Amino acid sequence: MKRSYIGVIILAAILMMNIVFTQYMVHQYYYENYVNVLIFGGLNIVLFPLAVLAYKKTINIRA
Amino acid sequence: MSDKNNKIPFNEDNYTHNIERNNERKLDRRGFMKTLVGAAGVFAVSSLPWGAVAAKELMGLGEKEYPHKKITDVSKLPIGNAVDFKFPGDHDDAILIRLSENNYVAYQNACTHLRCPVFWVKEQGEMVCPCHHGKFDVETGAPTAGPPRRPLPEIQVKVENGAIYAVRVKRYEA
Ligand code: FES
Repeated sequence: MKRSYIGVIILAAILMMNIVFTQYMVHQYYYENYVNVLIFGGLNIVLFPLAVLAYKKTINIRA
Repeated sequence: MSDKNNKIPFNEDNYTHNIERNNERKLDRRGFMKTLVGAAGVFAVSSLPWGAVAAKELMGLGEKEYPHKKITDVSKLPIGNAVDFKFPGDHDDAILIRLSENNYVAYQNACTHLRCPVFWVKEQGEMVCPCHHGKFDVETGAPTAGPPRRPLPEIQVKVENGAIYAVRVKRYEA
């Protein structure tokens, strides 16, 4: 295999974290722990630039 | 306008020249990764409203006091019966159950699973959600069966001059 799939793996992991954080966020909202909602919402937002970065860094890697 | 896409071979890493007519249904690694990044973006954006509402909740409105609202008269509610009412807003369904002479419980009765209205089954002594057979304990509002995982929010009530009033929505401990 000529390509490196490390980027795909990283992005899939990021998406997984997105799903987990969103789930937490919604549940914490209904539990009325609003600080936790902000924490997980913030993490979700931070993940986006990370994803862009992961894409840019790994798109041209050849293994 | 930059002409960075007019170079030959042009830089593929862009969002306008990345559809190849003959291969438009082919998803390569690059396209797949772009989709993943886009999905992360969607997650990020959709977190914003939750954050906004949570922040609003945190700022001052923490312990909300609503005007006390009369639900019904004591004489109109026999022991073991329930009555529906709205509290605190006009669209927040709630239920008041009289368990014994002086024991009243009230909950917001939107099921904590998918918000179907929970009702009181006198014969079984439980609150039941018709949608997916969720059940709630009548003393505490805790879920006892079915899909719901969170207790129903409890409403504090008080009895005054033969009438029952809703005072406020209790916050979850924990
Ligand atoms: S909505 Fe109540 S159990 Fe699903």
